[in-house]
Amino acid sequence: MEYSLNIVHLYPDLLNLYGDKGNMEALKMRLLWRNIGANIIDITASENKIDFENADIIFLGGGADREMETVSNLLSAYKEELKTYIENDGAMLCVCGGYQLMGKYYKTSQNEIAGMEILDITTVSDEKNRLIGNVILESDEFGKIAGFENHGGRTDIKNHTPLGKVLAGHGNDGESGFEGVIYKNLIGTYLHGPLLPKNPVLCDSILERALKRKYEGFSSLAPLDDTLEDKARNYIIENFSI
Amino acid sequence: MRLILAVWAAKMASLLGKIMGKKSSSTPGAVALKICPDMIKRLKKNITGKVIVTCGTNGKTTTNNLVYASLLKCGHSVLCNTLGANMLSGVATVFSDSCNLFGKFKADYACFEIDEAFAVKVFDHITPDYIIVTNLFRDQLDRYGELETTVKLVKSAIDKAPNAKLILNGDDPITAQLGKGRDASYFGISEQVLSQNSETRDGQFCTVCGAPLSYNYYHYGQLGDYCCTNCENKRNKIDFEAKDVSLENGLSFTVNGNQVNLNYRGFYNIYNVLAVFSLMSLLGTKSENFNNLLSDYKPQIGRMEEIDLGKSVILNLAKNPAGFNQAIETVLTDKRKKDIIIAVNAEPSDGMDVSWLWDVDFERLNDETFNTLSISGKRAYDLALRFKYSGIKIDKITFDMKESILSCLETDSEVCYVLVNYTALFGTQNILLGLKGEKEEKK
Repeated sequence: MEYSLNIVHLYPDLLNLYGDKGNMEALKMRLLWRNIGANIIDITASENKIDFENADIIFLGGGADREMETVSNLLSAYKEELKTYIENDGAMLCVCGGYQLMGKYYKTSQNEIAGMEILDITTVSDEKNRLIGNVILESDEFGKIAGFENHGGRTDIKNHTPLGKVLAGHGNDGESGFEGVIYKNLIGTYLHGPLLPKNPVLCDSILERALKRKYEGFSSLAPLDDTLEDKARNYIIENFSI
Repeated sequence: MRLILAVWAAKMASLLGKIMGKKSSSTPGAVALKICPDMIKRLKKNITGKVIVTCGTNGKTTTNNLVYASLLKCGHSVLCNTLGANMLSGVATVFSDSCNLFGKFKADYACFEIDEAFAVKVFDHITPDYIIVTNLFRDQLDRYGELETTVKLVKSAIDKAPNAKLILNGDDPITAQLGKGRDASYFGISEQVLSQNSETRDGQFCTVCGAPLSYNYYHYGQLGDYCCTNCENKRNKIDFEAKDVSLENGLSFTVNGNQVNLNYRGFYNIYNVLAVFSLMSLLGTKSENFNNLLSDYKPQIGRMEEIDLGKSVILNLAKNPAGFNQAIETVLTDKRKKDIIIAVNAEPSDGMDVSWLWDVDFERLNDETFNTLSISGKRAYDLALRFKYSGIKIDKITFDMKESILSCLETDSEVCYVLVNYTALFGTQNILLGLKGEKEEKK
């Protein structure tokens, strides 16, 4: 194989709600189907070294508040390394709790969980009124994105660029009309589903960003047959558009 | 007077439902409660014996119906929400249905399955003497929120019945924590039975200190012989323990030395039976008669329900990762060449979110006995993607369940398993029974 990517899954033992490991499957399979290597590295709570130097894509999923707090503590040791990775155009996908952890803090009624301060965003939880349901986004770069949200947190993304405009659903805070953040090659979002299998354009964009960063001569990914992926996404768009 | 009016109104609603061809298991009760909000409180004095409630993510309906069958077999009269309408209105319907026109009935026992989220509300109306909790798994996160939310709801419900005896799954660290400071008995399976694979384990962290749990052996989900790697928290002493388990030809095992033989499938059913054994022992029934007590129990629809269409078709309900993984485990114990149909809907009562499909170990189905796979249900495409990304070949994707079943009848497989979630169940059963009827007419 000419090309190969190292995909790091951070704390799958702690943050593993809502089938988010499907995102890892999508990243992996869409490389393998194109004859590109995919090396999956699971970093669990008992692991004591994350190799940011050789990481090409990092995935951080979502979990309950208690697990998020554990991950916040574990990740704080890598705060600077993670920041350098992102600033140097490292590709990363953060979903739900993982997204919240990229900001300054996540405040619940009981306590405040420290974020990694990669993004200038803040989240305050309103557990009594969770934002739940199917979501459809419109993005200039990725077209329509479909997923499912289920979060108590209200995220204020300040001056950041959102991932997309909300066509159906609640989004970052239920009011702004926007969902997620895209900053350099970091994508933060509340969308489960899981997100990537149904949204292959977004998945391929992450892969392509990582491949271009690693291999200077890399031009573009070969097309795949996405009939099934498109049907799954269009089912949501057709049935849950407002 | 209001009470009698309420009962009459409920009976009218029930009758109307019947005329319209619907089995109404919750509307009549809802009507009655509107007229007489304290109807249940006022009627419960008609129950002379104990009130038993079953809660938990999986196995509620089966456990509750086993309790019902056992109590009936003992010669008691029993109130029970056999149809699985497990919210307040469902319980109210059982009460109003049982009344005569004077608002009276006679019952020795009452047993109800109650939805985890609604137990708090139901316990304002009726206080149970025994509470069985089967297990607590991730289920319908869009409805219940995180698992911790469900645990809190169950906890506040049992707090409302401080004198109730708890009967808890001692293999489940999440369920077992409910017994702290309470009068509780625990049931469990005290030996390794299944292969130790790596399916999603929900409660793999200690409920007391948050450290990882370690297991001597585990059964499925977070169930097993666990202990915390950091604090004192570990599996309780088990009061009613299953051993010598065999899954060949139905189920057989011993409970505290008593042999139990059952002709239904599914490892998870051992837990349902253990819960009932515990209850019946605590009620003082003689345990040597236990096999006999269960003999009248007929599995509810879609609980590994076998329908003969020339080829054996087995219908099973599975609603969440733990349920599906157990269904898969059961399918794998059948070594015949098989077709598999899976259908998933995402109606409000199923949970609107299908992301949990990625937490089911569908890959395990791909053994040497696996022949064809059909995908159906409203979320067929999501399910299809789940298989596509696991590298499992899909033979058919269709919204039409009948088409799926008919094409499976044409293959050279010996058996067809149909795994469906909640709202897909009744439609599928109708199709299967319809096909059975057609076949018998032809004879």
